[in-house]
Amino acid sequence: MLVAAQGGPAQTPAAPPPAARPSVVLEGREINVPVTLAGNGPMFGLTPLAEALGGTLSTDVSGESVSLKIADKEVVIGQGNAIITVGDAIVSLSQPPVQGEGGLQVPLDFLRKTFGDLLGYSFDWRPETQRLTIARRGTRELPVALDVVHLQGMTTIVLQFPEEPRYKVNRQGSIIQVQMLADRLTPPAPKEIQDPLVQGVTIDPGQIRVQLAEGAQAESYVLEKPFRLVFDVHRTSEVEVPTSPSAPAGRQAGIHTIVIDPGHGGTEVGAIGPSGIQEKELTLQLARELEAKLAQRLPVRVVLTRTEDANLPLDMRTAIANQNKADLFVSIHLNSSLGSGAYGTETYFLSPQATDTRASSSAATENRAAAGSAPATSDAASSANPANPANPADDTQDLQLILWDLAQTHHMTESQRFANMIQGELNEMLKLKDRGVKQAPFRVLMGATMPAVLVELGFISNPDEEKKLKDPAYREQLVDALSRAIAHYKALVENQPQSQPAAPGTAPQATPPAAGTPAPAAKPPAKVGRPA
Amino acid sequence: MSRRAASFILGFALALLVGGGLWWWIAGRKESGRGHGAASAAAQAGQKVSFQLFFPADGGAIKAEPRDLQVLDEPKDRIHKILDALLVGPKAAGLVRPFPEGVVVGGVLLGRDGTAYVDLRWPNHEEPPPGGSTEEIQRVYSVVDSVTLNIPQASRVVLLWNGVQRDTFSGHLDLSRPLVPDRSR
Ligand SMILES: [Zn+2]
Repeated sequence: MLVAAQGGPAQTPAAPPPAARPSVVLEGREINVPVTLAGNGPMFGLTPLAEALGGTLSTDVSGESVSLKIADKEVVIGQGNAIITVGDAIVSLSQPPVQGEGGLQVPLDFLRKTFGDLLGYSFDWRPETQRLTIARRGTRELPVALDVVHLQGMTTIVLQFPEEPRYKVNRQGSIIQVQMLADRLTPPAPKEIQDPLVQGVTIDPGQIRVQLAEGAQAESYVLEKPFRLVFDVHRTSEVEVPTSPSAPAGRQAGIHTIVIDPGHGGTEVGAIGPSGIQEKELTLQLARELEAKLAQRLPVRVVLTRTEDANLPLDMRTAIANQNKADLFVSIHLNSSLGSGAYGTETYFLSPQATDTRASSSAATENRAAAGSAPATSDAASSANPANPANPADDTQDLQLILWDLAQTHHMTESQRFANMIQGELNEMLKLKDRGVKQAPFRVLMGATMPAVLVELGFISNPDEEKKLKDPAYREQLVDALSRAIAHYKALVENQPQSQPAAPGTAPQATPPAAGTPAPAAKPPAKVGRPA
Repeated sequence: MSRRAASFILGFALALLVGGGLWWWIAGRKESGRGHGAASAAAQAGQKVSFQLFFPADGGAIKAEPRDLQVLDEPKDRIHKILDALLVGPKAAGLVRPFPEGVVVGGVLLGRDGTAYVDLRWPNHEEPPPGGSTEEIQRVYSVVDSVTLNIPQASRVVLLWNGVQRDTFSGHLDLSRPLVPDRSR
């Protein structure tokens, strides 16, 4: 029970339920899975569950995102981000996966949306007994329809199902096997196939087998509503095996993919200028203009998080960048202020408070790794932190934690470097008022697994800047400055890997955080919020 | 977020939903009764204490304005009075009120871990006011700083809007977790 401000003395929050040992039971047998009872529901250790249910876990080279392979689908998890991707789908969870006992800990809906949907398991959590019961759902009988069409030298095989089956595609030489993981198929009437590229297709209740002709190869993809599994078959020499344009297989060194995020959208309008112009309109315009400029200037793939005036949750924007394995994330905004007289540009990167729940650990690591260039945390925060990497315990959980922190630290250092370049270019080209590089717990920068900044390209609350921002020629200059900063950063990353110090002129700038404060000679970025 | 903090918020939200109108009505009656010099007024009057209220300022800044307020010893009462005064607005030129007229303090809770839960309410407005980054920072940190830099028992602040914790107010700051003061000034 709770009390109002005017009420009696403060009461403690509700006591935890009586302690029963949490357990996980799979098909009647208890398995050893760490369970943490968080406020928003239980969290389960992913590693032993993946082992027991059939999933392969791997960590991105940089250690910042975790990939879980289930059947044919890849699940990408960014720690601390409540949005994951399952194949091409973006899935929002009740709470973000976090590092804990037994490695990554995931909530119940994660299990349902991955192992549940892909492999047909049901997950039943009973708070009163603190037991998770996992069972195979009853197998479905799915009728399947088969079509084979040969057109212009290519054969297309279409397998149509009333709903998405739980399956896995195995390939061995010229044989493609579609193995059912939890469903049974009702085969169609046998069909004679006369095709130059496909020798035969056989359908049994447990699998579909496609035998390709010699010298043929196939790419598969799926279509929705109704669910169809499609194979395009062609001669090996005709087409190189394409990599999906929507999601490159892995992240290579360098800057290849840039995600540009036009701030706000839909009913979430952002700042509003004196003439009534809304931040969301200008951010989209600037993002499109930057996309076009980058297409002219750099060999990079550019993805916009939104291309129309629509609401897009902040976590979704970061998830789009993660899903596209972006190397750089730029969120574009226009500013406004209360009071008068604010104008100029500023670029933000994430403050360590926000990187994850173990912020102080991250900040402590950062202080040691970045040797003074990174922001300091309070002594109290560091010493109170039980997972302080200064005294790493020699178990793998701590190691994972440290790897995660180092990845975040690396991103923050890189984000700061990139932010400095943006401010440098804006100053150089436009001689604008430089409000500097700053840090804040901005939600759109959280969970990004790449260097990420939020750039404020001027105050539309200021009538002069609002007027300038409506002028395409002025925006062209802004976009030019941004694209130059990106080009410089790309060149720096690709020519001077990891160990190189920041290029001349890119050292952290003294940043006047607020009027009336004298800036010391060398100063870390102005920071909004400190580690909690 | 700790289980305790989460259940605290959940309980708070439930109290708002279930107890709703009656609860706030009673709270409001108590508040207004207090101002009318009841017999126990002397015991309830408390003392005058000097605080620093942090207001949005020209140039996108946040600046302190000293203010003497009549408060009880209880930290929750002090937080409530500080925020009431903050929402009414500044006296000095060059400072502005952080939220539009009509935004009031719906309730204040102070957890034992030093987290202050501040519920801001704006009747007939489901959404917080829109704005750019600096505007949102000015709004949010005028509250966070005014609470945490005046009340030693409150080290961090969770902001609620119309009784609900949100991911963000205006599309920039993450408000899904407690905020600590901005000491960069
Ligand atoms: Zn914005």
